[in-house]
Amino acid sequence: MRLRALRLHNVKRFAGHGVAIENIGDGVNVLCAANEYGKSTCFEALHALFFQPHTGTPEGVRLLRPYSGGNPLIEADIVTVEGKYRLTKQFYGGKRASVIDLSSGRLLAQADEAEAFIAGLIRGGAAGPAGLLWVRQGITGIEKRSKSEEEGDKRVREGLLSSVQGEVDALTGGRRMADITARCNDELDRLVTSTLKPKKGGPYAAALDEHDGLLEEEQRLGAEVTALREALDKRRSTLKRLAELENADEALERRAAIAAAEAALEAARSHAEALKAAEAEAALAATRRDAAMLALQGFRTERESAARQRGQLTKAHALRDEALARRSAAMAESDRAMAEVQAAEQEERAARDLLARLDTALRARDAAERLADLRKRLEQAEEARSRIEDGEAALAVLAAPAQAVDELQALEVEIAGLRAAEAATLPSLRMEYQSDAAGAVTIDGKPVPHAQDQGFSGAVRLDIVGIGALTLRSNRPQQGDRAIEGAVARHRDLLASLGVDSLAAARQRQAAARDKAAELALARQRLNDLAPKGVPHLHADVMRLTALSTGDLELGADPDEARRQLALAEQRVARARNMARETLPLRGQAETAVTTAETACAVIAAELAGLEATLGPETTRDEKQRILADDMATQLAAYEASQARAAPLRKAAHDLSGAEAALRRTRAVHDAATQEASRLHVTLADLNGHIRARADQAVEENWHEASEKLALSAERLKRFEMEIAVLGRLRAALVAARSAARDLYLKPVISELRPLLGLLFDDISIVFDENTLLPHTVRRNGQDEDVVRLSGGMREQLSVLTRLAFARLLARDGRPTPVILDDALVYSDDDRIERMFDALHRQSRDQQILVFSCRQRAFSKLGGNVLQMNDWTPDRA
Amino acid sequence: MFRFIHSSDLHIGKRFGNMPEDLRGRLREARHGIIARLAGQARDHDATGIVLAGDTFDSETPTPAMRRQALAEMADHAPLRWVLLPGNHDSLQAVELWNAVHAELPDNVMLADAPAPMMLAPDVALLPAPCTARRPGRDLTEWMDGAATPEGAIRLGLAHGAIQDFSEDAAASDVIAPDRAARAGLDYLALGDWHGHVAVNARTHYSGTPEPDRFKHDAPGEALLVSIAGRAAAPAITRVETGSFVWRTPSLQLLSGHDAAASLSALLPTGAVRRQALIRIMASGRVRLAGRTALAAAIANMAPDFAYLELDESALAIDCESEDLDLIDRAGALREAAQALLDESTDETRSGTDRAVSRAALVRLFSYCEAIGA
Repeated sequence: MRLRALRLHNVKRFAGHGVAIENIGDGVNVLCAANEYGKSTCFEALHALFFQPHTGTPEGVRLLRPYSGGNPLIEADIVTVEGKYRLTKQFYGGKRASVIDLSSGRLLAQADEAEAFIAGLIRGGAAGPAGLLWVRQGITGIEKRSKSEEEGDKRVREGLLSSVQGEVDALTGGRRMADITARCNDELDRLVTSTLKPKKGGPYAAALDEHDGLLEEEQRLGAEVTALREALDKRRSTLKRLAELENADEALERRAAIAAAEAALEAARSHAEALKAAEAEAALAATRRDAAMLALQGFRTERESAARQRGQLTKAHALRDEALARRSAAMAESDRAMAEVQAAEQEERAARDLLARLDTALRARDAAERLADLRKRLEQAEEARSRIEDGEAALAVLAAPAQAVDELQALEVEIAGLRAAEAATLPSLRMEYQSDAAGAVTIDGKPVPHAQDQGFSGAVRLDIVGIGALTLRSNRPQQGDRAIEGAVARHRDLLASLGVDSLAAARQRQAAARDKAAELALARQRLNDLAPKGVPHLHADVMRLTALSTGDLELGADPDEARRQLALAEQRVARARNMARETLPLRGQAETAVTTAETACAVIAAELAGLEATLGPETTRDEKQRILADDMATQLAAYEASQARAAPLRKAAHDLSGAEAALRRTRAVHDAATQEASRLHVTLADLNGHIRARADQAVEENWHEASEKLALSAERLKRFEMEIAVLGRLRAALVAARSAARDLYLKPVISELRPLLGLLFDDISIVFDENTLLPHTVRRNGQDEDVVRLSGGMREQLSVLTRLAFARLLARDGRPTPVILDDALVYSDDDRIERMFDALHRQSRDQQILVFSCRQRAFSKLGGNVLQMNDWTPDRA
Repeated sequence: MFRFIHSSDLHIGKRFGNMPEDLRGRLREARHGIIARLAGQARDHDATGIVLAGDTFDSETPTPAMRRQALAEMADHAPLRWVLLPGNHDSLQAVELWNAVHAELPDNVMLADAPAPMMLAPDVALLPAPCTARRPGRDLTEWMDGAATPEGAIRLGLAHGAIQDFSEDAAASDVIAPDRAARAGLDYLALGDWHGHVAVNARTHYSGTPEPDRFKHDAPGEALLVSIAGRAAAPAITRVETGSFVWRTPSLQLLSGHDAAASLSALLPTGAVRRQALIRIMASGRVRLAGRTALAAAIANMAPDFAYLELDESALAIDCESEDLDLIDRAGALREAAQALLDESTDETRSGTDRAVSRAALVRLFSYCEAIGA
């Protein structure tokens, strides 16, 4: 079907008039007009002509009616393979539908027949395949739309695809496929998670848990059985060993060995004791023999020694006597020297005393001379001191503070000032006498001077000779007097404190005080010269010198002679002392020699005395020596006899430690056997308890049972695993088959779409959603993108291309259908629109395409048959 | 004439941990019940006693209850005489067990716990070879060769163990010489250990267990009634039934297109005996998808009748024709999935496990399709 013309009257904004679009050609037709020009109205009218029955007034029809009312009339000329027709529909008033064969002008069908004719053109109304080839303003077919619209569109697409590729359900398995897949998934989900892991709480997980539990139980029981068997084995070997240990013959043997070892040890012990006794006896004899020998030898030595000592004593006595003689000589010489020393010293002492006396007399004489002088100075000093004291006393009377005088002076000036000021304010009187009457006026008896102003205060009485008394009164306030009184009072106090009656007196006193102070300074200077260390010191000096000067002042000898005598005496003393020192060593040596000799004598005498005492009286000595010799011979014989007794015992020595070791060993063997036996009895008791406890608990049955249960559980587990594998395999097969079917099913549209996509995009492929049968994801540069995330431009381009692909499908199926795009490229840029138009032009060789657009400039250079909207008035036929 | 019941491997106290919880108690109780059933058979056939060739107890440590109740039960059947031989499960290593049994031994029970002749009757000597350990490592019956017995007395051998060693690594040293009866001049050698009846030779028999405890042997529980007329006389041996539970492993041969469910019912017993039956169906051959799901459904349907019922389908191949796949879907994704699974399940380059998984997945897909309807 191709459109040739579209005319409408009384539709929407075209109330009361009509428009016509004529000369619609094959291929691309473009109607470019500004907004509100009526493009969409044309689109909707065309839609209503094909899809709305003329009898009804559904939403789609009502929207066509102008605001002012009226009956919309729509007319289209079409060409099909059968011929050229004019389709007309009027809605509301005078509603009608008609089909006219344009070649003959014959009315082909009316009303329902006309609807049937139109339906035949588009196959099945809006739900038919042609429906989707309308792309409306802003509707890309990918945005969310109402459910019913969505469903309707989907059915359209399905219908188209089905018509191309056979029944969809037949291809994908439809409901059955879904049911079976759901069953398979249900059964699988019961057992495992989506990642084929055991599902918690599911029977498979339970079987796994049970298996693990049983495995553990089986191992535990197996270990118990093993333990029991081991205990039994151990008990058997223990019993065997016990039997050996407790064998009577062996025990007897062990005991006999012990007895033998004990006997051997006893024999060895008694021999050892005998030997020990003999050895002790021999040792005693040897000791005695040695003692006798020593006694004899000692006696002999002592006798020889006594003889030698006696000789030495004689020599020592001689030496002592010689030393004594030497000492006597030395002592005599020494005494002489000492006497000389004493004499010299006495002489020296006398000389020294004399010299001392002479010195004392000389000093007394000197002191007496200094005393007279000092006494005179003392007197002067005393006098100076008394003068100072007088001066100080006088000055104390005269002294007055300097500022007090200054203040006094200042006060007097102030008082004078104050008085002058007062006098200036006082009433005054002046008496100018006539030449004759001088002194005739008196005040208080004193004449008032001539032509002199005289002030007064208070009242004054003038006695005027010859006239009477004139009293003048000044009733003046007394304010100025108080300052004067204060100053006068201070003046008076100051004078009193100074002890004078006037300033002049004060000044006089000040001068007198200055003179007195100078005088005092002079006196002090003098005292200082006379007694620089003070008068008391001077007194002390006088006292000291007085004491010195009281001695004998006579000399009686020449001091120089006395000094020479002293020197001589000192020389003599030194000489005598040297001589005495020379004699001293001689004397010491002699005394030492005496002492040494005496000591030697004493030592020898003592030793001799000791020896003599030991040896006893001389007469018995030979006898004693003989007795000692006899004793020694006796002891020697005894010693040899004891040695003879011990010798055979020594030779026949027994191995005592060997015997002890043997006994220890045999006893150890016995003890070890006993201990092992008792230990084994304990072990046996333990084992018995252990075995009895286990044996009664039927451990082996439990173990067998657990093993069998485990095997059963393992088998069940294997069955579960098989089940999972089977279900998994089935699911995989179903999914694979369904997706293969879907691919097959969408193949035609994809194969139509691919070259179109290639015109606009490089390296892009589309995956269709199997439910909506619309592009779902786009694969670009190896990355998948959801269509809803694509840009608006790309989405609308995809939408248009998809529709073109479906249109091509239809055309290939022998049902060419116009594609109508109502402002379908609002988001696309000019470049893309150009390329889009390339696609449209290429497509339009066997496809009629109507493009409505408001983008006049962009579309003006895109080629295609440009359509115009002209006014149109319907035939009143 | 000396007549006795030869039995072995009572395994009293066995727990059956690998069986469903509610079945364990019954199976365990059945083992205790053997004593009464053996005694009943002995009385019915006029035998003097029962000789147990080892493994009377399942382990070396049965609970005191198990042990005492078993001995009390035996004592209850006096004057029948019981002879107990320690086997490998209850060898002489279980000193506690045998000490306890000794202490509680009833008058009519004898312990064959030493390799020395025992006189069962004035003219019947029993030569026991008690197991000294779980793995004795030698032929314990060797001593019988030179064992002296009274002149003219019947010589009975009693032993427990294998006469053949099937395992590859174990040493053959503890294998009982199969011709021991001939070598030791035994009139009869009663053997235990193998749970199914085996006649080794005319004078040597394994009695098998009187109450089966596993699927392995696929034989009913039975004991041997042995009658010996006198020294050197050939023993007369009769098999008597003693089992209370039946353990069977019937094989179900299927061919593609067979009605698997119908074949199954033909294999199974009917009626109340099912309660005492433990059945493992060994399915083999080929089956179509529909048949496979029908078989599984039939088994699930019948299982509550039985003590135990399971299907071993490891040897069962799934045949899948295009019409089977058509039942899933004629075309489209489901068909594609089914085809992919089928291809995988027959792809010889894949491992057996992979193929089994694919096959099972295909069966599952088929069962889903059946469940939701066409």
